[in-house]
Amino acid sequence: MGFLSNRKSGKDKKEKEMGKLINSKNVDENKRRLKERLKDCDDIVYKEFRVGEQQDLKFLLVYADGMSSSDMLNDAVLNALMVHAREVPPEAKEPGEELYKLVRYGGLPASELADKDNLEDAVLAILIGDAVLFIDTTEKCIVIGAKGWPMRGVSEPNTEALIRGPRDGFTETFRVNTALVRRRIRDSRLKLKQLRVGKRSFTDIGVMYIEDIVSPELLEEVFRRIDTIDIDAIIESGYIEQLIEDDYMSPFPQISVTERPDEVAASLYEGRVAILVDNSPFALIVPTTLNSLFQSPEDYYDRWYVASILRFIRYMASILSMVLPAAYIAVTSFHPGILPAKLVISMAAARQGIPFPVLIEAFIMEVTFELLREAGLRLPVPIGSAIGIVGGIVIGSAAVEAGIVSPIMVIIVAITAISSFSIPNYSLAVGFRMLRFLLMIFAGTMGLYGIMLGVLLILSHLVKLKSFGIPYMSPYVSFVGSDFKDTIVRVPTFLMAKRPVLLARDKIRLKNNRNLINRLEQEEGSDDKK
Amino acid sequence: MIRNNDTISPYQLAMITIMTIISVEVFSLAAEAADELGTDGWLIIVILGIINIFAALVIIRLNSIFPGKTIAEYSQIIIGKVPGKVLTGLFAVYLIIVIAYVTRVFTEVVKMFLLFRTPTEVIMLSLVLVCTYTVRGGVECVARVNELVFPILFIPFFIVLIFGYPIMDFSNLLPVLQTPPEKILASIPRMIFSFGGIELALYYIGFMKEPGKAYKPLIISIIFILLFFVMITVFCIAAFGAKTVTKIIWPLAAYIRTVSLPGVFLERLDGVILSLWVLTVFTTIVSVLFIASYSISKAAGTKEQKQYVLPLVMIIYYLALQPQSLAELYEWGNLIFPYAVAAFMYVVPAALLLTAKLRKMGVKRNESD
Repeated sequence: MGFLSNRKSGKDKKEKEMGKLINSKNVDENKRRLKERLKDCDDIVYKEFRVGEQQDLKFLLVYADGMSSSDMLNDAVLNALMVHAREVPPEAKEPGEELYKLVRYGGLPASELADKDNLEDAVLAILIGDAVLFIDTTEKCIVIGAKGWPMRGVSEPNTEALIRGPRDGFTETFRVNTALVRRRIRDSRLKLKQLRVGKRSFTDIGVMYIEDIVSPELLEEVFRRIDTIDIDAIIESGYIEQLIEDDYMSPFPQISVTERPDEVAASLYEGRVAILVDNSPFALIVPTTLNSLFQSPEDYYDRWYVASILRFIRYMASILSMVLPAAYIAVTSFHPGILPAKLVISMAAARQGIPFPVLIEAFIMEVTFELLREAGLRLPVPIGSAIGIVGGIVIGSAAVEAGIVSPIMVIIVAITAISSFSIPNYSLAVGFRMLRFLLMIFAGTMGLYGIMLGVLLILSHLVKLKSFGIPYMSPYVSFVGSDFKDTIVRVPTFLMAKRPVLLARDKIRLKNNRNLINRLEQEEGSDDKK
Repeated sequence: MIRNNDTISPYQLAMITIMTIISVEVFSLAAEAADELGTDGWLIIVILGIINIFAALVIIRLNSIFPGKTIAEYSQIIIGKVPGKVLTGLFAVYLIIVIAYVTRVFTEVVKMFLLFRTPTEVIMLSLVLVCTYTVRGGVECVARVNELVFPILFIPFFIVLIFGYPIMDFSNLLPVLQTPPEKILASIPRMIFSFGGIELALYYIGFMKEPGKAYKPLIISIIFILLFFVMITVFCIAAFGAKTVTKIIWPLAAYIRTVSLPGVFLERLDGVILSLWVLTVFTTIVSVLFIASYSISKAAGTKEQKQYVLPLVMIIYYLALQPQSLAELYEWGNLIFPYAVAAFMYVVPAALLLTAKLRKMGVKRNESD
């Protein structure tokens, strides 16, 4: 026994050393302990008040100023306890447990209430934005859900604007974001598992999935990877993305990021898993394939051939943005024979007097373009357009006139730039831009052969890459017929009967209604004849 | 997690077979065929194709006795541990020589048509190193690369081949079937290497979940190659005539050089098509290199094949630089490959199958099915 009690006291000591707080029955003592823990936190409000006929019941309300809605607290806590309790005096004969229950279940007109008997939890609740009510003579305290900090309203996502489609985008508030997704999936099988990650930030992370569509292995893998995260703070969902992605060396994003709740909902219906992070308007979607990064939500809202043409253009654009400067370098410096003689002559004439080899010329222009792009991005919108003028007109034409670059090079860079902007996913576009420089070096040293080697290197890398167990190049490497309906060609909606086979369990998503429509028309037609 | 890491699908087996067999010999195929049989050059390809279908049947039969096992594993069961390992080691040596040969031939083609001043060593080493990167990804990676490259290569290639019709004169193919049968048979050894690569199925079927499903993809891919080779030979002979073709080292490259696509602003297509041709050489080297490193790891009794790939590159590089000229290279090729290919494609599988049957292996397995 002595041994046991020793161990127990040792544990207590350890808890005290670590600064663990234990509730006391005395409100003043609780306040003292809280103040000790939250020393120099001047935004914490301690509101002490007394209730009862004799004003002898001591209450203490603690919350973080600005994080909790003071309207709500005034209304649901202070008004209820201080004013109404006077009109209808509480019938607690003695303070203690009974009084606590009275307040907890009858006294507070607030929807979100929880009991806590640990001061440590209470501190966390305060810091999250809830209010905590302490009552004298009882050890428990009541956590009142009163989160209400200033937040941005739901607005149109800037980075993923669409012509057609819903205009709402995620905000920085976790709860708003989950609500935006829930509004699109009114299914009890849509699950939201909440975790707190970050030893200091205690950031809310929500893993959303549809229970009977998602594959259990995928889900397990997602939770396993999130569990491995041990970090002080999660500021943005990018932290999570980088900590759980498969290959950190790859130039390709293996987790897609979106600001659009409709895209998240659509991905969940496909059997993917979404990870929402508090303080970030960007949701993560896993697993991601190269094909899915070329998809835009609009593809499904528009009619199928519009979507298919746009998809094709995007694929072409990605290839152009990667290969075009390299091909130009290769053809002009190694294989001019490929082009018709007239074109070769005019190109050679344009390059007359330019002091650099084509590779250097291309590098100068591409780097200049990257600089312009970056500068334009950082500047406020009115100055940003000025950068466009300076870059496009002044530098472009001046560089040509000064004889530093050839006009064809300017055209090449311009086409490359436009192409790289038409890739819907920003991080994918950046990946292609990086690879462009790699290919340019390959082309500058070994011509078309070098480009092919570079392409093969990229292809091998893509083929090796996996995102949460799904091959990055699927469906191009898995050859499941129905998955091909949503690749370069997006088939008419009524034909997309199945969810992606590799991802989803509940495979059938719609039934072909085309023949039903046609049958009705035929019947009407035959009626007319009669 | 969701898909097992070391299995391939029947479709992938077909892609691997096609992309492995079609490699550098395509350039010289028409010249060799015409050299042997004149205008009947295509006939020898048809005959070889049919022979190889039987060889493929033997290979599949052998593999289906030992499902999920490659020849490196079951040869140790059939003929004993040490002889099996020796056989696997010999196989690896043969495959390394094949890679060195293919690399060198391709380097010469690239030097002649694409990069005139680039040193042979640079071209060779860059190609093999890129292959190394792929091979280190394992069988799944190798299979997927083959799968992806197939359409990228063949769609433009067929378009270009067909647009050569203005220069073709099919009367060049006449007279038909004038060659005596013994001459046809005599020409088989020289042409045998063009179909070399089927023996890799001895390994790749072992990576399939169900070896029984190998029949269709393997036979279809051999027929595809057969038709493709016949097409190339016929087109080249039709374009240049049998006599001229024998004088050209690489008739196919010459053929592509003469093609001009109507309405496309590219004037000479040989550069484009030859750089696309990197793809098929790449897939050949990748498939063979993977099996070579796998064989060595099995012969050495290790689990991983990755660590053997880079040392192999050194050996391949050294071997590939040995011939001083193209003529010497082809001389070496004609000396080694007829025997080596015949041994590993026909003799070894047939002998192993016979031994396995005599020792009544796999009979029980069949009955339980």
